[in-house]
Amino acid sequence: MSISEYLWVMARAATTSDVFNAVADVHRREILDVLIEGEKAVGAIVGDLSMSQPQVSKHLRVLSEVGLVRCRAEGRLRLYRLTPEHLRPLHDWVAKHERAMNDRLDRMDDYLQELQRQGDRNDT
Amino acid sequence: MTPSRHGSAVIEFPNELEVLITRRFDAPIALVFEVLTKPEHVRRWGATHPDRMLECSIDLRVGGGYHSSFVTEDGTVCSFSGTYLEVEPPIRTMATWRFEGTPPVEAVETMELHEIDAVTTLSWRLAFRDRTGRARMTSFDGQQDSLDEMGEILRSLLDRQETASE
Repeated sequence: MSISEYLWVMARAATTSDVFNAVADVHRREILDVLIEGEKAVGAIVGDLSMSQPQVSKHLRVLSEVGLVRCRAEGRLRLYRLTPEHLRPLHDWVAKHERAMNDRLDRMDDYLQELQRQGDRNDT
Repeated sequence: MTPSRHGSAVIEFPNELEVLITRRFDAPIALVFEVLTKPEHVRRWGATHPDRMLECSIDLRVGGGYHSSFVTEDGTVCSFSGTYLEVEPPIRTMATWRFEGTPPVEAVETMELHEIDAVTTLSWRLAFRDRTGRARMTSFDGQQDSLDEMGEILRSLLDRQETASE
């Protein structure tokens, strides 16, 4: 079936960008999710999630390296916040996925409408 | 003129093996079924520019086969084929689905149509044989992942960012 072709389009558009790898991990996505609420200390993130502090720190390091979170020190606390502008390539990739599929079904839709208009003309 | 339904397809990943796409059309179920299952119709809407459809054959009966192939601008060819397991016009077909790559990707494809008040809903479901298969066709870097979940996180993050910058 030719709807399938969209999957192929996406398979070709596969990417290995660092941001993609960073959010491919479910735990790192959980951390991003928790940070949506605002800036938090490592301890607070640990408290919100069922992860150990070393685990959270390890994931935060990966997220910092690709620029998805930024860290600042306040006294002895290290506070992390989101810098979501670096998610843009990922967002664009997801949008491309949706577009590839929609293109095909939109074309089928246009064709269906054209067939129906022709049908109406033939009836009159 | 009815409002355009362009861009309205919904893509979901109900579990780690499946992809489900849902789309409504303002057309009677019999016509939608024809446009999906007759090669002379599929050829008209099948390929996304600049890709071209090379072949399209459909033998619509239980045990019958189908085959379609596409070529890109740079000459790469991709080919899909399978065998019908169930054919129930105009509401349902079920078929094996195979993407000819190295290694090939296999799935079972189910297409269901449903008409209410002259609006036909298409549900297209691909159930992959294994997780690697779905990952290869839908994911990045071979990672098994939920785009749904990611899509939601992305939207909330970007919405937040836009609100903040206003």
